[in-house]
Amino acid sequence: MALELHPLEQFKIEPLIPIHLGGLDLSYTNSALFMTIAVLLITALLVMGTRRGALVPGRWQSIAEMSYEFVTDMVETNAGHGAEPYFPFVFTLFMFVLFSNLLGLIPYSYTVTSQIIVTFALAATVFIGVTIIGFAKHGAHFLRLFVPEGVPFILLLLLVPIELLSYFIRPFTLSIRLFANMLAGHTMLAIFGGFAASVGLLAILPVALDVAILALEVLVAALQAYVFAILTCLYLRDALHLH
Amino acid sequence: MSDERPPDELARLARRLDQAQSSRRREEPGPRQADSGEQQALGLGFRIGIEFVVAILVATGLGWAFDRVLGTRPFATIVLFFLGVAAGMLNVYRAITGQGAAVGFRRPGREAGRKH
Repeated sequence: MALELHPLEQFKIEPLIPIHLGGLDLSYTNSALFMTIAVLLITALLVMGTRRGALVPGRWQSIAEMSYEFVTDMVETNAGHGAEPYFPFVFTLFMFVLFSNLLGLIPYSYTVTSQIIVTFALAATVFIGVTIIGFAKHGAHFLRLFVPEGVPFILLLLLVPIELLSYFIRPFTLSIRLFANMLAGHTMLAIFGGFAASVGLLAILPVALDVAILALEVLVAALQAYVFAILTCLYLRDALHLH
Repeated sequence: MSDERPPDELARLARRLDQAQSSRRREEPGPRQADSGEQQALGLGFRIGIEFVVAILVATGLGWAFDRVLGTRPFATIVLFFLGVAAGMLNVYRAITGQGAAVGFRRPGREAGRKH
């Protein structure tokens, strides 16, 4: 019995509308399609949800308001005061990651966040933005972030590189965490799905497992969006409230 | 029947909202405890798993790149590997002690005193 498993095939990027401009491949791919769908869904949810503006919200308005309040709370408690101007950014980031993750769970859809270049682009945006905010707010004083207080000079030679390193690692941890979680979960689902297709009656076992994993993946999808947004808030707090 | 709600209903709703909000505020001792504990613990668990590994990998990769450019093989790789281990531990430590992923973050008071 030949076991035909292609658990990684689901991550393949395929151009839907080929566009080549001056040697650059700018094709509209399945990945781009699902980003578009995510953005359209978020826009639809928020526009439809807030259109009526009823005092006692209906279902859609409740979802829109709950997500808004959830992120407001998160920004307020984690990024501190003065972070309000950055709320729209964090909200957009959270909703985009959440919707991309959840959309990916629908069979035959494409998980945008399983591509490291997508998560890295998001993380790099956060990282560069936060660094610019830090320098804009504090000037060269921002560099004090890397110098722990009350440490002998000799130790600083060791500690400053460590602090620098742990600062520059941020975009990598931020992006790899999201990407790895998505990739691992979807690969697992595909592998057990492949088993189910090849073992006949025994298929009930891998299918049952897949159902359980799918439930876990829903949790992971929401949680990773939450973690991504909360870390953005924590980084923002660093830049805004220098100690 | 008019479209407007009776004003006393609105007033009652406002009162109930105020009550709910103030009782919620009393339950929250500090700003960092605002999220429900379970949710925060889960988020934290998922966060720190990757933190350590990535720190080492990125640092070692950086060292390897330095070595290639500067021709100092293998010293930068070795040094940066250990720096990466230190940075990874630092990040994990900061994450679990509730200092966020803050670089150089010191909690006012207690933490600052301990560092000296």
